[in-house]
Amino acid sequence: MSAGRRPAAACRGCAVSAREILLQIAQVLTVLLLGPLLQGIILQFEERVQRGQGPGIFQPYRDLWKLFHKQIVLPETASWLFWVPPVVAFTCMLTVPILIPVLTDFPLPVSGMGDILGGGLILTLGSFLIILAGLDTSSAYGGIGSSRAVMVSILAEPTLILVFVGITLLAKAMLPFVVNHLLVASWATYWSPAHLFLVAAFFILLLVETDRMPIHSSTHIEVYMIEEARILEYSGPLLALLKWASSMKQFILYTIFCNVLLLPWGLSIQGTAIGAFGAAAGLIVKFTLVACAVVFVETAQSRLRFYRYQEPLAASFLLAVLAIIGTQLN
Amino acid sequence: MLIQNLDPLASSLFSLLAIASLLLSFVMLGSRWLKNYLYAFAAESWAIAALSAIIGFYGGYPELYLIAILTLLFRGLLLPYLIWRIIRRLDVDREIHEILQPSSGLVIGALFVMFALAVSYRISAEFHLELTVAVLALTVMLSMKLIGFLMLAVRHEAISQILGLLVLENGIFLGSQILVPGMPLLIELVILFDLLIVVACFGVLVRYLLALVGTTSTLQLKRLVG
Amino acid sequence: MVGGLLLALAGAPLAALVLCLIVRRPRVCEGLNLAASTICFAAALPLPFLIDGQERLFWGGYVILDRLSAWVILCTAIVYVLASIYAVGYMRLLEQEDRLFQFYALFAGFGLTTLVGPLMNSVGIYWIAIELTTLVSTFLVAFEREPESMEAAWKYIMVVSAGISLALLGTVLFYWCGSFVLGPTYQMTWSVLREAAPGMNPVLLTLAFLLVLVGYGTKVGLAPMHTWLPDAHSEGPAPVSAMLSGALLNTAMVGIVRFLAVTRAAGIGAVPEAVLVAFGIASLLVGALFIVRQRGIKRLMAYSSIEHMGVVALGFGFGGVLGVVGALYHMLNHSLNKSLMFFGAGNMMRAYGTKDISGIRHVASHFPSAGALWLAGAIAITGAPPFGLFLSEFTIMRAGLASFSWAVYAMAVLLIVIFIGFMNHFRSMYYGEASGSAPAAHVSAWCAVPMWLALVPLFVLGVWWPGSVWAYLASTAQSLAPVAP
Repeated sequence: MSAGRRPAAACRGCAVSAREILLQIAQVLTVLLLGPLLQGIILQFEERVQRGQGPGIFQPYRDLWKLFHKQIVLPETASWLFWVPPVVAFTCMLTVPILIPVLTDFPLPVSGMGDILGGGLILTLGSFLIILAGLDTSSAYGGIGSSRAVMVSILAEPTLILVFVGITLLAKAMLPFVVNHLLVASWATYWSPAHLFLVAAFFILLLVETDRMPIHSSTHIEVYMIEEARILEYSGPLLALLKWASSMKQFILYTIFCNVLLLPWGLSIQGTAIGAFGAAAGLIVKFTLVACAVVFVETAQSRLRFYRYQEPLAASFLLAVLAIIGTQLN
Repeated sequence: MLIQNLDPLASSLFSLLAIASLLLSFVMLGSRWLKNYLYAFAAESWAIAALSAIIGFYGGYPELYLIAILTLLFRGLLLPYLIWRIIRRLDVDREIHEILQPSSGLVIGALFVMFALAVSYRISAEFHLELTVAVLALTVMLSMKLIGFLMLAVRHEAISQILGLLVLENGIFLGSQILVPGMPLLIELVILFDLLIVVACFGVLVRYLLALVGTTSTLQLKRLVG
Repeated sequence: MVGGLLLALAGAPLAALVLCLIVRRPRVCEGLNLAASTICFAAALPLPFLIDGQERLFWGGYVILDRLSAWVILCTAIVYVLASIYAVGYMRLLEQEDRLFQFYALFAGFGLTTLVGPLMNSVGIYWIAIELTTLVSTFLVAFEREPESMEAAWKYIMVVSAGISLALLGTVLFYWCGSFVLGPTYQMTWSVLREAAPGMNPVLLTLAFLLVLVGYGTKVGLAPMHTWLPDAHSEGPAPVSAMLSGALLNTAMVGIVRFLAVTRAAGIGAVPEAVLVAFGIASLLVGALFIVRQRGIKRLMAYSSIEHMGVVALGFGFGGVLGVVGALYHMLNHSLNKSLMFFGAGNMMRAYGTKDISGIRHVASHFPSAGALWLAGAIAITGAPPFGLFLSEFTIMRAGLASFSWAVYAMAVLLIVIFIGFMNHFRSMYYGEASGSAPAAHVSAWCAVPMWLALVPLFVLGVWWPGSVWAYLASTAQSLAPVAP
């Protein structure tokens, strides 16, 4: 694997170096701090494409600041479950960056805690709790949002698992770092049909998981919202935690998409501070490119009927199956 | 035999073109608009013509260049043009009452590809050919056949049925180019012209259908029972 | 000499086709078609006698004339000439004088492609000939320009083209099989395949044969690929139905038989034969079930065609000298008989003005001679003695007793069911209660003479099976299956 590039530690079981621990913390901090920035960039692009002014790319930070200074208002029908989703979702989103290559392309001390599948499961745990949150207060909008989210995820989750299986079969290992190395090292693998199909399938799933499918509105003004409907009853710091968690989830999915599949270059190899900062800047650049594509796909298509959500998901399933078959034929 | 000593670049080019054809037939399966079917079919024919030319280059069969050019002209340009003329004369743009939704069609198509892969493994195991190109060729050929049959079965517009038949023929042509590139030239030429005559006949029949039955949707053809 | 006969066989309908398109007068076209069919019959009749011993190749190996093709061409030519005579009288009743030249041009083309099919030596060209017969006959089926005819024509061309493409896949797989033995480029003819067969991979060969069986079986009308047959055979004009049933199904069967010979030469005859027998029994079952409750007169005849093709498939599937001899004899008798039945049905349809069995009543009193001929044909087609079909079905049953006894019992039961159902319909038509008005006119000579010409040989062949014919058919069986029967 990447044993030759690991600095300092000479034997297994020896104390890991301080630099690696710092890098691990820096990964989590990157996701934490840059998540809202990505959300801001996407919203700004969307507004610009629709010929509006846009609120500026730092608006989500101002929103979070404002929300943390507001009061918590609890609905009367809320139960003990009301407090759980924000905290748990936030924590999950803090956990996943430990497992995936965010800044460095070698695995850090506790990166072996979970593989691709484990990361996917933790993300799903967060989504699951937010769905419960929508149902908890028995409000109409919460119910609609949760039921629609579940309908979409019934098709999306198996496809996501299939994509992960495809990635695993491509690299013959379950760690995202191995995939990253393979794609950087071998052009033939990068341009192989299996990899291209996986990129396409994951792109569709990216749209689905970050609520960018053209079947609903991502603001809370219109009736056919999914994401906003579930968290409609939250206020104050709890709402801030939920919004932050969803922007971090978006950041994480983009990270997996870029650093593992599409643009695996630009990660720090040695683990120096300059390398880490460069990797973070590179992340922003890469994500901006992907965000352009996402915004383009979403705004170029007019709103579809809700039941047509199965079409892009069926296409994604198909592409994942073709990718798996492609891995068998090489 | 050709597929037994291929260099890797040739092998990956074959794979790319074959999988591109398969993907285009899935595009046909997953869309509702007749014009999209047509464009996907034309693109698929072009991919197969490119495949013929590449096989002719690597295998040393100069007559395959002729076949490639003829495929490009006839299957890639003339046939889509004829069908486009038929579509233009009709009043329909898409399947109105679908029997099978496009998304379910895509999922069933994926299952067909898995079945075709299983069959191809069995066949190539018989020859002790662990050659991926042979398996790929067989898989793509069989899956395009199955997808063509699916289109014939669940699409009720006359044009979609014609295109389903043409996808069937495309699949066989693709497979025969990879597996048996040495097939006598005469047969391949005659099959190509035969397709042209078939589509011309279909054009006449669609005109009759429109005039006598009043619609080209075969859902209305239910007078003969028992 | 033989070459000249073959040239006349192909050239006469071609000339008739071209001349009909040039000269558009209906009477002239009738005469041209009649002349062409008579020339074809005259050319085809001596062919079985001129073939002795091995097959003969012509035109650089593209045309093959062996016992099988000579026999099938004879059957086809008989149906062609009878149908042409009948068409003269029948098409005048349709009163579409201005489009009649199209009909005769297409009819001559149909005759040409059907006659030429069994002569093709190259497997790929045989496929193309079958495809061409489909195209030409579709326009014949759609000739009457009714909505029902269009529906039948569309179903016909769709189902059969899809099936034939499966046969093309099977042909490509056969070629691929052969390329492992013979190298990447070779002329794929029937004899080359047979010689290379023992070296071919059995699994791939079985797969290829099954594909070819399903593909050409669609064209023959074996169940469950028969769905186009009742519609196409019932909606076309009666002479076209006679040609479709009597000639085209046999031509498609030739392909299946030749491929079966290849698999037998490879030594894997068991699975293909079993599948062929299964398809035969399925066709008999479908035919029996649909005959019992049938309401249309021509659909009744079409289902009877399905049943008889099932019997032929059983004969070839049982194999051995008896099976093949019985199947080939059945082809000839069926061609004669089915033409007779369709001619009679066409007469009654025109006379009574309806296609329903319930609308045709008291045939015996209104049409004494034509009715008697038709009733005799009905008795013959259900397999009763003293007609030819009884002898051939009996031979086939004898052939199957050794290895496929379950199939023979099923066949016997189903034939009895068909007999009862079919004769029940005819009983109601001849001796049932009267309903509706009396029929119009009489049956013209053009329409009645072919019925006599069909019935008399049927009776003769049923009473007397010449030893020379048996020997001819037995040597055909030997050539198809070199392994000891």
